[in-house]
Amino acid sequence: MASEFTFPSLDWLQAVREVFNTTDMYRGAGSGRCDCVVGLKIEGAVFIVEFEGFGCTGVRQANEAELENVDFYLDMPYELWKSMLENISANNHAIGEFTLNTLDLGMEQGIAHSKHEDQYRQDLFVRYNQTMQFFFDASHRISTTFEEIVAS
Amino acid sequence: MADSQTGTKSAGDSRPMDIPEPKFNWMNQSRQWGTRVTPDKKGLTLDKTNVGIYGEVPQRWGDQGRNPRGAIPVKGALPIGYSVTQKTELWADCAAELYEEAIQRRWAPATDVPWSSIQPLPNDVEVAICQVCTEILQYANIDIEVLTNWQHRMSYGYHEVKQFLATASLDAARRYEAFRKRALINGGGLGLEPTGQANRFLLESRGGWTETVAGLALIRTLFVATVCEYLYKHSYNDAERVVYSFVIQDLARLLTYGVEHLKFSLAHDDERRGSVITMIAIGLGMFARDLRDPVLREALAIVFGGGISGARNEGMSIYYDLIEDFRERHLAMRRWLDLPADAATMPRAFRPRDQN
Repeated sequence: MASEFTFPSLDWLQAVREVFNTTDMYRGAGSGRCDCVVGLKIEGAVFIVEFEGFGCTGVRQANEAELENVDFYLDMPYELWKSMLENISANNHAIGEFTLNTLDLGMEQGIAHSKHEDQYRQDLFVRYNQTMQFFFDASHRISTTFEEIVAS
Repeated sequence: MADSQTGTKSAGDSRPMDIPEPKFNWMNQSRQWGTRVTPDKKGLTLDKTNVGIYGEVPQRWGDQGRNPRGAIPVKGALPIGYSVTQKTELWADCAAELYEEAIQRRWAPATDVPWSSIQPLPNDVEVAICQVCTEILQYANIDIEVLTNWQHRMSYGYHEVKQFLATASLDAARRYEAFRKRALINGGGLGLEPTGQANRFLLESRGGWTETVAGLALIRTLFVATVCEYLYKHSYNDAERVVYSFVIQDLARLLTYGVEHLKFSLAHDDERRGSVITMIAIGLGMFARDLRDPVLREALAIVFGGGISGARNEGMSIYYDLIEDFRERHLAMRRWLDLPADAATMPRAFRPRDQN
């Protein structure tokens, strides 16, 4: 963990992507082929993460309007993103209330949303849930610092 | 020496055997020779083989034999009697993709679940978990039977669907295995067999595969997936978390097939709409009767509440949250399918708590 990466940032996502794509266990049981385009909405910032085949093929910064085109996007308060990543860092993977599945259940409207009202695309969050979890679990291998964001 | 009576040949005998001259006249018979399918970064997936005539999926498959799509059929073969022969009766565009996904996202309960993470639990919690496992593995048994009971009635022209449903059967078998192992690993055992009105409803559904899918996907599969999500949130060890999270993904594929098939069928066959609505209403009624039996409700409440004392208030409250989540997801799918989606028309067991 030579470098520190600030969350949220494109550099941070690229570092996570690198770990995810080069760690065999993230392609093991329960994971595998995954084809979807995922948005991340973190306070004012929007990122797009693309998965194709067995890897994450790209991450990029985007704007709110581009969330129209993703299969689904994850949106939760910044403090929850931070707590989830701290939990992952402390345990090498998310446990307890900080798994994506449990976070989704814990919020009134869930954490996975879409703007297209296409049930098939929205359901990809459930079909590929373990892959999404592995992607964020990969962040335990990088040193994360958190941008101080005051919740709006 | 050759045995003149049997035609066999001994070692060292150089005389030619009395075998028919090969004609090779079966060669050069193909409906489309020269086909070259190409793999891409996902590998050579099933949908990539749908090129030329091999990708022609007919609206009706009239061949009553086992002829693989694209092959030259046997002449004079006796009809087998497939009853699901129309594309509208089983098709979903995503079937090939779901088949590949099921193969590639496979897992093995024997080795991929950290069973050693399970530690002794309070007796009431262990009893409750074992009862929940008993119910879910019984559901899995029914799923296998329902799926396989229909598979052999489906024409070979729609191999994508038949192959996907084969993986769905395996998923159900794995679900049975995983929950049975969880029930038997920690000093407990299997509990009571569930009452099973909904099981009979699914098993005895003979009207059509589409109607059966409405009950199997929108009711049974969605309910078990919702239960597994709540169990995941209230799991007691890593082994349970792995089982529940992997099962949720498996069930999501069957749910996706179900919803996409219903979408396709309803869009192409106006006659289906009424029977699908009726099937859902009957299915929910049967399922509501099952839920009147307190066993699953109380067992889940104990698991969610951390024991009998926690089950009375917190655990039972979480159980009703689960039922409300199931209802909302069920209604969302009906809206997506452009089917009536009024919670007030659902059986009392699924209505909002303040309307009961």
